[in-house]
Amino acid sequence: MWGRKVNGLLLTFHLAGINNQNFLMRDEETGSYWQQISGRAISGPLAGTALTLIPSDELSFALWKSERPAGRVLKDVPGEADNYAPKDWDVKLQQSFPTVLNFPEHGLGNREIMLGIEAFGAARAYRYDQVIREKLVRDFIGSEPVILLTGSDGQSVRAFREKIPSIGDTAFYRDPDATMIDSSTGSRWNFQGCAVDGKAKGTCLERVAIIKDFWFDWRNYHPATSVYRPHG
Amino acid sequence: MAIRRNRVCLIALIISLAVALFLIAYPNYVIRPQRHQASQELQAALLVLRYQRLAELLCAAIALGALGILLRSAPGRRARVSAIVAAVGTVLCAGLSRFNVYEIMFHPAGAPSFQSISETRLDAKEMVLAVSLNNDSRAYPVRTIAYHHIVNDVAGGIPLVATY
Repeated sequence: MWGRKVNGLLLTFHLAGINNQNFLMRDEETGSYWQQISGRAISGPLAGTALTLIPSDELSFALWKSERPAGRVLKDVPGEADNYAPKDWDVKLQQSFPTVLNFPEHGLGNREIMLGIEAFGAARAYRYDQVIREKLVRDFIGSEPVILLTGSDGQSVRAFREKIPSIGDTAFYRDPDATMIDSSTGSRWNFQGCAVDGKAKGTCLERVAIIKDFWFDWRNYHPATSVYRPHG
Repeated sequence: MAIRRNRVCLIALIISLAVALFLIAYPNYVIRPQRHQASQELQAALLVLRYQRLAELLCAAIALGALGILLRSAPGRRARVSAIVAAVGTVLCAGLSRFNVYEIMFHPAGAPSFQSISETRLDAKEMVLAVSLNNDSRAYPVRTIAYHHIVNDVAGGIPLVATY
């Protein structure tokens, strides 16, 4: 998700092509071409400019509803709804086409779904099915301790720095009800990364952005990426 | 003199047609879903795209001009037919350059509209892309934006583009 304002100019984007499985966008205001995955203009008057990343989440409707009861949902475009894929389109896609690029490293399939994090000077990828199986992953990215927490729906994942603001590094453990306890204060933390009771109540952990992507695509744009326990 | 002029016109027609065809074919050849694009050829293809309409108009203008000059001298049938075919071909390419095949295939979402949670019929398990800005929380069902790919929106007063 990207901001549309660049140097005070409001841009409107159109789909312009496919570039190595990601797509290209064109803004109608300057005719520049932008890469979807990096938010960077690669051709045209604004070439070299980067859009501002807007933090967003990918999570189940159920979890989102419980967190944002006053939220609003995008409506189907009239007349188009019949064309939307059946609900398991991403599962079906996994089984079909060959990819244009091949990175048979770490024994990973090209279309293996990964959670990619680029932060703290490093890029690291986690197998999605492994993360939701482990429910709470404690790891390092660069030299920063980071946790990946799976929600109570068993599908949604968020990443946070494993550091309580004003207290410091800590260790988190998962409780059966999908909340976490930290070893420094014993407080209970929810899926939003905020402490709901205990000494740290009211504090929230710093979110780290995750991109859900196919392995070959993540690896193509992050050649130096490491992988969390690929054979684990 | 007439013969030389006609020859020049025919050559101009052939070149216009060839250039017009190249300007359409090259970007569509390079920017294809099942093909890897190296950085330099992508830059070249995008450069062609940026100037495509203008260049196509130029080709069409040259072709039509050459056709006009040629026809005035009442050339033989073969020359006349080739010239007309070349000119028509060039004009068709110019027409094609006005279309973006990706926008045609992938149906941009246009101005998005939203509904409350109670009005929404989505499975609990369906994934949404969610954003919350200045107390404005919006969810974009992945099934919907995976089809349209791009949604230009404003949330919490902040203009954003949701992509998938």
